[in-house]
Amino acid sequence: MAKSALLRVSDLVKHYGDVRAVDGISFEARTSSVFTLLGPNGAGKTTTLEILEGIREPDSGEIEVFDVRLKRITRAVKQRMGVLLQDGGFEPYLKVREVMRLFASFFESPVPIDEVLSQVALTDKAGALVRTLSGGQKQRLAVGAALVNDPELIFLDEPTTGLDPQARRNIWSIVSDLKGRGKTIILTTHYMEEAEALSDWVCILDHGTIIAQGTPRELTQDFGEETMIEFRADELGSGALEALRSCCKDFRIDGATVTMETEDLPATMESLFAWSREQDVSLRNLIVRQPNLEDVFLSLTGRRLRE
Amino acid sequence: MNDVFLLARTYVATAIRERVTLFWFLIFPVFLLVVLALIFGRVGQEGEINFDVALVNQDAGSSDPVGFAAMVVDVFDGLAKPQVERQEPLFTLHRADQGEDPAEFLDHELTSLRRGRRAAVIVIPEGFGSSVFGQMASSESEGTPLIVYMSGTSVASEMAAEIVGQVLSGIDREILVRAGRFDPADAVTAETVWLGGGDDETLYVDFLLPGMILMGFFVNGLFGVPGAILFNRDRRILRRYWVTPVSVPRYLAGFSLGHLALCGIQFVFLFLLGRYAFGATVSFAQPAALLTLILGAVTFMAFGFLIAALARTANAGMATANILNMPMMFLSGMFFPITGLPAFLKAIVYVNPVSYLVNGLRVSLGVESAAFSPALAIGVPLGWIALSALVASRKLKWDVER
Amino acid sequence: MKALRALLMSESRILLRDRMAFFFTFAFPLLFILVFGFLMGDIGNVSESAMGIFVESGVDRTHLDETLAAAGSMAIEPFESAEALEAAVVDREVDFGLAWNGEALRFFYDANRVQENFAFQQVAQGLTTDFDLRRQGAMPSITVEPVDVGDVASTGWFQLVLPGILAFSVLSSGLFAVSGHLTAMKERKVLDRMVVTPMPPVALLIAIVIVRLIIGYISTLITLGVGVLVFGLKYDVSWLRFTVFIACATVGTMGFGTIIALVVRRPSSASNLANAIAMVMLFLAGIYFPIEFMPAFLRAISRGLPLTHMANAMRYATGVMDMAEIEFWAITFSFLGIAILLFPVLARYAVRPSRQ
Repeated sequence: MAKSALLRVSDLVKHYGDVRAVDGISFEARTSSVFTLLGPNGAGKTTTLEILEGIREPDSGEIEVFDVRLKRITRAVKQRMGVLLQDGGFEPYLKVREVMRLFASFFESPVPIDEVLSQVALTDKAGALVRTLSGGQKQRLAVGAALVNDPELIFLDEPTTGLDPQARRNIWSIVSDLKGRGKTIILTTHYMEEAEALSDWVCILDHGTIIAQGTPRELTQDFGEETMIEFRADELGSGALEALRSCCKDFRIDGATVTMETEDLPATMESLFAWSREQDVSLRNLIVRQPNLEDVFLSLTGRRLRE
Repeated sequence: MNDVFLLARTYVATAIRERVTLFWFLIFPVFLLVVLALIFGRVGQEGEINFDVALVNQDAGSSDPVGFAAMVVDVFDGLAKPQVERQEPLFTLHRADQGEDPAEFLDHELTSLRRGRRAAVIVIPEGFGSSVFGQMASSESEGTPLIVYMSGTSVASEMAAEIVGQVLSGIDREILVRAGRFDPADAVTAETVWLGGGDDETLYVDFLLPGMILMGFFVNGLFGVPGAILFNRDRRILRRYWVTPVSVPRYLAGFSLGHLALCGIQFVFLFLLGRYAFGATVSFAQPAALLTLILGAVTFMAFGFLIAALARTANAGMATANILNMPMMFLSGMFFPITGLPAFLKAIVYVNPVSYLVNGLRVSLGVESAAFSPALAIGVPLGWIALSALVASRKLKWDVER
Repeated sequence: MKALRALLMSESRILLRDRMAFFFTFAFPLLFILVFGFLMGDIGNVSESAMGIFVESGVDRTHLDETLAAAGSMAIEPFESAEALEAAVVDREVDFGLAWNGEALRFFYDANRVQENFAFQQVAQGLTTDFDLRRQGAMPSITVEPVDVGDVASTGWFQLVLPGILAFSVLSSGLFAVSGHLTAMKERKVLDRMVVTPMPPVALLIAIVIVRLIIGYISTLITLGVGVLVFGLKYDVSWLRFTVFIACATVGTMGFGTIIALVVRRPSSASNLANAIAMVMLFLAGIYFPIEFMPAFLRAISRGLPLTHMANAMRYATGVMDMAEIEFWAITFSFLGIAILLFPVLARYAVRPSRQ
């Protein structure tokens, strides 16, 4: 098992003055898998990634990548890595093909450009100036530039932030395709469904440390056999809602949304219906669902991810 | 090597495709060369300049028995016709219409002169003809003078008055010759000797062209370098490079190569324009001139890096460049002679690398005499390169802060 | 009213903090006159130039001395040999030289002083003519009396340059208010955010106009003051004309800025185009050098540029150039007319969501 870890990080520390951006992080990412760093803004995701991408040097800690132990990322390592920055730009007056050719020239053994262009579905945009591309096309170009050396290890920093659902699905399918071809992908995101849909392993960060990690299934199963009940209750006073606290394991109000956590779904549902008749309220948008990563994060930190 | 070459190509392609940079690095220097060559290349050249001049003859009656007033009128009439076909005549002459009140006409023309619509108004006063006749008989008495009105607020008017004066002294000479009081055979010969150049006066365009080429390089370095580096850094375009194996020195090599290629393009355009549109004769194909051009391009590029290193944001960099642009360009002798400056501005001239490069290039082309010792002419630009390299290597940030 | 006051405050802060706006409003005109004041004071002023002379020994020099004595305020420096004279011309110790050997006058010029030699040659020609007549004992039959018709005492071209620069700073302030500031607000979606509030868009435009007017006005006063105090320039400013003109020209050029903003789709390109147009106009509008020096077709272009008329109106308002009163007001009110015509368009442009 240990043999197949492509990237191993131990005790990574990075402080900015008094701010402990990364405060002793250790994890390993296995070959041919999608490894996701999850956490709210300021949790240390970006700094961790920037260290692994070679943009910053850690204060201490060790990185083992491609079976080599390093203090920081070297140019030899970069030859085998692909990086999609969260908000990197391109020269607006360069054509798509020119961008690809330029990035290909930085690597010792690049893939033929046409191959990469078709992989990211930009073949018919090859002659277009970057400034004329749509947001989704620009992001696919960025992915293409990150794949031009056929990297074994790929960093995708919030690859779908700000994209429309269609463009997001395009990126997802590229990621799945890469995993299918044996690549190792380090992903950050704050879209829950994205982490759940793509990840083989999720690592939850908060305040520069890892507070939980495992497969998405494992993490949600830590909740045991619990089920989540959710409904909207904007017109209700908190006094009326307090009565519900006793009939479930955990209970929280988040804006207008009430979430109840229960191990005994039938019993809780019964008390809920009884309560609704008693209070004469309709349970609008009533949802019964399994716990997700958001619930995991919330239960661990008491905060929501996207705050 | 391929990456360096492609980075250079990126720099050139971006500069040419973006209309703003294209304007500043190519169109504007070309525009300025054309305007300055058209304006100052023609000052004082007959057939190239035209003045609106009014002529009032108050001596048309009986008091002009020999016709001296008419003679003056004839000469000016002649000068109001094109001397060479399809060229502008020296004067556009305004005369009173038939039946127009001469006093009213004069009044009107003087107002026009004050308002800048006439360059000069010439009045032949009554009694002028007989006065000239009397002068020829006895040169001791005071004659009736011709009056040339001009406007001291207008440079053109001063020039026109000067030219009118020359025309009149030509007429005067003619009259004296006819009266036998001046022997043209015994006239003194006046020779003109041109020093410091060839056998003739240096062409204005030959003087202008090297200045414009260096101005192009200067603007290119001053605005282009901080613009490209800082904008690319702040838009995180550079960061995309830093996550690949490409290194800062290689990027720098590509950038510099691209920048010098742009300077090369500027040079070719300006040179061809100066040569074939304005007849420049200077030849840059000599080691001293070429070395100065390269030294200039490198110095200004380094200067751009200095600004990029000292400015925190792209906008601050552009503002700094804007503020430095004008004093450095004008306090260098690039456009105007810099004699007669007060000491504190002279000091700027002496630390300004543009001064040394412009003078150096012109000296190497034989269109200016050396104003600095050769050691300074090379040493000061090299000093700026060294200073810029030192500051940039310590202070220039290649990536955005956190 | 409260909104307008708040907008006025924020607009003035923005203008004073925006480095580019600050540069073009305050620093540029000041820098310009400081640099040019010293440069231009010296150009083409022949009366302050120096001529070196060398007369061969034993040659009669009475007529030459008479001629030089009559020549006026030019400095005359004697030299011991033709070689010393030539060296002095090349080293620019004197501006040009004259050698007299009893038979021919030889004038020496530095071939490379291409911008000044024309004036020196004019002087030389005058000297030759005068010398010739004196030598043959002839008095000129025609005498010429030059009369300066200017009502205002001009100390040279630079006195006309300064109002031109004031006109330019008014132009750039108006152009950039729309094509730089307003378009940038659009680009950064600041405008969209304001438009969804109950704030009337006119309030924003009024705030921009008022702030530009006041700050632009102050800047012209500073520039004018420096010209008077540092360079001893003399202006007879008609404050009514000066003030009304700056007000009308500022709003008028904002109208031109609107046209640019409408023609160019991308906001950042609008500011760049405005910048380019301003620079080209600066060189063609007779600000740096007289329009009369230009060839006919450039003169025609020049007369079509608003900046040319702005500069002339400014010169009239500062009392250094004459102009028909009606022409001045025609120019002034043309700018006002443009503003009135284009402000509704500008208001619509400001609130219309940007095309993407």
